[in-house]
Amino acid sequence: MAAADVERHSKKRKAAPEEEAPAPPPAAFPQDVGLEMGSEDEGEDGGDVSDDGVVDHFPEIDTRSDTEDEDYTEDGEDEPDESEEDEEEDEEDGESSEETSDDDLGIFPKAKTVISDITGQPKRVYPDIEPDYDSDSSTEDTPNRVGDIPMHWYDDLPHVGYDINGKKVLRPARGDELDKFLKTVEDPEAWTSAFDKNLQMDKPLSPEELDIIRRLQQGENPDASYDPYEPTVEWFTGKGKEEIMPLSAAPEPKRRWIPSKWEKQKVMKIVRAIRQGRILPNKPKTASTQPQFYPIWNDEPSSAPAPLPAPKPRLPGHAESYNPPEEYLPTQEEREKWEATEPEDRERDFLPQKYAALRLVPAYDQFIKERFNRQLDLYLAPRVHRVKLQIDPESLIPKLPSPSSLKPFPVYKSLQVAHEGRRVRTVSVSPDGGWVVTGDEGGVLRLWEVMVGKEVKRWTFKSKIGAVEWCPRTDVSFFAVAIEDRIHFLFPPNLPAAILAATQHALSPANLPPPPAVPSPVKWVSVPAAQSSTDAPILSLHLPSSPEPPKQLVWHRKGDYLASVSEGQAGVWMHQVSRRHSQAPFKKIKGAVQLVLFHPSKPHFFVATQRYVRMYNLAEQKLLKTLTPGIRWISSMDVHPSGDHLIVGGYDRKLCWFDLELSDKPYKILRYHSRALRSVHFHPTYPLFASSSDDGSIQVFHARVYNDLMTNPLIVPLKILRGHEVKEGLGVFAVRWVPRQPWLVSAGADGQVSVWCS
Amino acid sequence: MGRLKQKGKAGAAKAYVTRTAAVKKLQCSLADFRRLCILKGIYPREPRSRKKANKGSSAPTNFYYAKDIAYLAHEPVLRKLREHKTFAKRLSRALGRGEWSSAKSLEENKPVYRLDHIIKERYPTFVDAVRDIDDALCMIFLFASLPSDSKVSPTLIENCARLAAEWQLYVMHTHALRKVFLSIKGVYYQAEVFDQTVTWLVPYQFTQTIPTDVDVRVMLTFLELYQTLLGFVFFKLYTDAGLVYPPPLDTKKDEGAAGVGAFSLQEAKDARPAVTTTSKVVEIDGKRISSKDVRQTIKSITASNPDDPDVQMTSVEAAQANDDDEEFVEDTTEENPDEDTPSAPAFTTATLPTLKTLSTLPQSTSSKLFAPYTFWLSRETSRPIFEFIVRAFGGRIGWPATSGSGSPFDETDESITHVIIDRPAVQKPNETEAERERRLRRKYVQPQWVVDCVNAGKILLEDLYAQGKTLPPHLSPFCERADAYNPTAGLIGGEEDEEMDEEEVVEGEGEDDEVEGSEDEEPVARPAKAALKAAAAAEDAAALRAAELAAEAAGVDFGTFEKETKKAQKKARKADAPKEDEAEQDMNKMMMSNKQRKLYERMKYGEKKRTVERQQLEQKKRSLEKEKKRRAKSS
Repeated sequence: MAAADVERHSKKRKAAPEEEAPAPPPAAFPQDVGLEMGSEDEGEDGGDVSDDGVVDHFPEIDTRSDTEDEDYTEDGEDEPDESEEDEEEDEEDGESSEETSDDDLGIFPKAKTVISDITGQPKRVYPDIEPDYDSDSSTEDTPNRVGDIPMHWYDDLPHVGYDINGKKVLRPARGDELDKFLKTVEDPEAWTSAFDKNLQMDKPLSPEELDIIRRLQQGENPDASYDPYEPTVEWFTGKGKEEIMPLSAAPEPKRRWIPSKWEKQKVMKIVRAIRQGRILPNKPKTASTQPQFYPIWNDEPSSAPAPLPAPKPRLPGHAESYNPPEEYLPTQEEREKWEATEPEDRERDFLPQKYAALRLVPAYDQFIKERFNRQLDLYLAPRVHRVKLQIDPESLIPKLPSPSSLKPFPVYKSLQVAHEGRRVRTVSVSPDGGWVVTGDEGGVLRLWEVMVGKEVKRWTFKSKIGAVEWCPRTDVSFFAVAIEDRIHFLFPPNLPAAILAATQHALSPANLPPPPAVPSPVKWVSVPAAQSSTDAPILSLHLPSSPEPPKQLVWHRKGDYLASVSEGQAGVWMHQVSRRHSQAPFKKIKGAVQLVLFHPSKPHFFVATQRYVRMYNLAEQKLLKTLTPGIRWISSMDVHPSGDHLIVGGYDRKLCWFDLELSDKPYKILRYHSRALRSVHFHPTYPLFASSSDDGSIQVFHARVYNDLMTNPLIVPLKILRGHEVKEGLGVFAVRWVPRQPWLVSAGADGQVSVWCS
Repeated sequence: MGRLKQKGKAGAAKAYVTRTAAVKKLQCSLADFRRLCILKGIYPREPRSRKKANKGSSAPTNFYYAKDIAYLAHEPVLRKLREHKTFAKRLSRALGRGEWSSAKSLEENKPVYRLDHIIKERYPTFVDAVRDIDDALCMIFLFASLPSDSKVSPTLIENCARLAAEWQLYVMHTHALRKVFLSIKGVYYQAEVFDQTVTWLVPYQFTQTIPTDVDVRVMLTFLELYQTLLGFVFFKLYTDAGLVYPPPLDTKKDEGAAGVGAFSLQEAKDARPAVTTTSKVVEIDGKRISSKDVRQTIKSITASNPDDPDVQMTSVEAAQANDDDEEFVEDTTEENPDEDTPSAPAFTTATLPTLKTLSTLPQSTSSKLFAPYTFWLSRETSRPIFEFIVRAFGGRIGWPATSGSGSPFDETDESITHVIIDRPAVQKPNETEAERERRLRRKYVQPQWVVDCVNAGKILLEDLYAQGKTLPPHLSPFCERADAYNPTAGLIGGEEDEEMDEEEVVEGEGEDDEVEGSEDEEPVARPAKAALKAAAAAEDAAALRAAELAAEAAGVDFGTFEKETKKAQKKARKADAPKEDEAEQDMNKMMMSNKQRKLYERMKYGEKKRTVERQQLEQKKRSLEKEKKRRAKSS
């Protein structure tokens, strides 16, 4: 068995002496438990038998001597030198522990039965006892005799105590962590050994101790000798031990055999009650199960309102008849469609059918199901109280004055000017209402007459025209054009001499005004009046460079200030023509500026960002109010000539009318265009405004504003002007009113500029 | 400063509870909660904002009013349901232990709940109850025709059949039936009781089976309530009519399948309710009007217009009504006729027939429509339906023994005027003389005739409904919307259009003729007409002047020219006006508020849907008629 073990285990095991009985792992290998236990048992009491007498010597040798012997045999040195021991501790350690474990087996000397040579009978032979002091292993204790003291007292001493002779017991050498680890790997018994505090080294556990550990692990009684299933000993019961004599000699009481009086009295009470009819033992049940009806509504009803009655089911129509008119019968398609739809989605829960006679009508298979559904409706469906409106839907449409009573307004297209198919982004009408300037994306700027559409002059620039705007002054005549990062000032041909002179003087005066104290990044470059012509700009402003031309130009009503809006953060510039000076009114503005606008009468300035319109007082340099139109992206804005009303158009098809005196919220929100709004414009004199959209239509409104604060402005839709084509999803870019006429000029993405007349 | 408002402590969050919360609060099972809801008539509500009511969650749940649930918590029935729960536990324990006697005594003392107080709560007045018996009647009639099984006990079905018969008896007795409709689902009846129209649906007599996807427990709970409700309603109806409730049942007749005839109406002799005596003489506008006056008025009204044969017929029947009435219910005294016509005061006030009273007339007089006639039911017709209809309208009816016992006369009775027959006409080769004579004397009609007469309020011609003939379509008497498709009206719209077109063409020709006649010169007339047309088209003065000149050149004198231009302009204006109007309206829609626009669009949508439906039906009818014509031509 030992051989088998040896073969099974590692090579280290082979190095260990053959004769030693391997300490079996008690519970680690459950499949081997039986085997190992057997071997252990044998090892315990018959270890010698298996080991064939080689162990015979061991009990006689004490541990120390044994190890020394081993050392001796191995090293060939007799001297048990401490230093030597320290040095060789590594190799010795494993073996010494094995030795000790071997030694433990022989601590209690046991008798051996040996067949006597002389008698031939088996006899007990005890091992010889050496008359040495520590020959008796039972009395043999640890060599360290310091007793039960805290061992850390010896921590910084080379020894760990004293032996019986008063000699120092030196501290056993302890390896480093690697050694410890190697020991646990190499030494098969390392895991059954524990640290001995007294000796300051690991000592293997004895089989008895291991057995105790095993028992504790398995939850058994740690005492191996305890037997929980001992046979019981019957001390007082059982045969021959019965109690014969009574404990008390008192006679049995009468109540044991006499019926109770009180019980009788109680029973008699019930009996009497039943006899007298006070208790009915079996009530007649039939009367109570049958419902009893009585005039329940005879007494006054409660004043509480009756619960609302459930809605009655719809009464059947002609289609449900057993013999309906033929037109109610479904065609094949209708039948298929009905069958294909889900039962919940069907408009009718049956298919009309026609039977020639009443006797042919079958049972309706959905009858119970329908009753059940009705009941589910009654108790499971939430009910909502709805007021049924009995009104004519037409009465909901507001009654507005007829457009014919609000004439004049543009109704037809009187002429059309083509721009060779390029998108016309911008249009402006001269303040006298005679001339129109239009600029397209190709850089062509055209000047033509409103009445006949005759082109008078054409300028061609290199890049697209961002905006064009006539100066509102009537004593001079010129307009500003935004191209790239420039703003050019041009004047039309054929001007009367006086106006021409005034214009030239205004734009390029002979003696320039003094340059401003703070130099502006905008450069003013003008051609001297003598060399100026209609072909080239008389005055140019060089704005800080930006990829796109300024998208909007706005004149102040007096014609001295011009505001321009470009892309980017510092896009708003205010240019003063008379002083030839530009300044940026805002250091920083929240959001990208879309549009700006001068108030017609007050020093107020509107700035539209993507979502909000802010109103500033330029004189006091402060924010007056912020208007919230509720539009996602503002596209256009215009202020009423009175200055109290503002309209804002957005790319999300909405047009908001603000009453500036009233609120920051729109007075009215209109949504009538089917695509984004592009432009809105108030007529300067007539009560009209127009909006244009990407759906290619222009909507003209009558907008009357009253002087008293009580009356709301009257907005009446007048006319939808159609005639522009939608090209690549773009419709009419700009609409402008002709100042003294109820005429409208519109510029579209189809390259057409139209004049609409009344 | 007020107290801080906490979320979920006020408003919708407090006013509504979810079903789970309600069940938890009432500490009953979901089944018991459902039962309570059915009995008490509590239904879920739709909060305005589900999110607010559900404390911010938008999970789909049903909400009840918290007050409704608090009201349920005090319900005696709920207590009884709890008692029943403990009873069931005790019983099962007793049965499990084999304690038979205690189980028996437990069973005997089983808690039973009553619904009287619920009826009173849900229907504080009798009229409320009558208004709401539609569903109850439908269920009762359905269960009366169901076979009994493990879920539906025979006693329940018996009770339902009894209630159904009691209702029919009452309606027949008071002649309250107004309309009948034979649909593919069953027969719809409409009666007028206490000025309330009560409509109920009775399935055709076939065995119904309860489908598996129907929860019978729910239906039985409803039925429990309905039985109680109808019991009280019938009690009141019967006692007010001076009858004994419940009407005694003749078991022998019942076993012979006499149906309604097994019950006999008994006059309550001893205590006549005060209601009926007061209803005998009605005081209107300070005038005391007795039933006699009423009858006289009816007579005078019906006699006043003898031209219409239908009305004449009704007058005859009105004259006979009294005698017949007395025949039908033996003990009824003279107070009957006005008692069962709730609209009677409407025309008793008027001594002379006005247009208004005449319009209400057919309804009231038709309650005794069949009084002069005696019907015989053929074997294949449904006896319960026609016995009920005919007797409710005052007619006498008999049936063969195969349809059940209790027929008041047999087939050979001389008084039979109509035979309701529903089989194809077959020539009988071996007909005796008596039979032949009888056949000729009687009118053989199909069952639809009876119903159509009832709905029309007059006796229709029997020829259309004679035995074996193809019946005219049976239409629903329940009035629909005014703008709905009317199958009886000829196709006015389409035909008119066509006719109009034709007329216009004819007119145009006529005008041409006239012009030609007056001018006598064709070549002159043409330019003149052109000039006129130009004048009509011309809007501004310059164009008008030009047209005038042209006309003059053509030789039209100024007077006629002016007339013509005016006419033409008017026409043009007329044609233009609606268009302009429409455009203006469309533009004005811009100025509508969002709410109004949505409402407007919804209304328009409904209108459009209805017109489309109507047009489809009309289209179908037109094509069907064309088909018919073509077939008639080809054959």
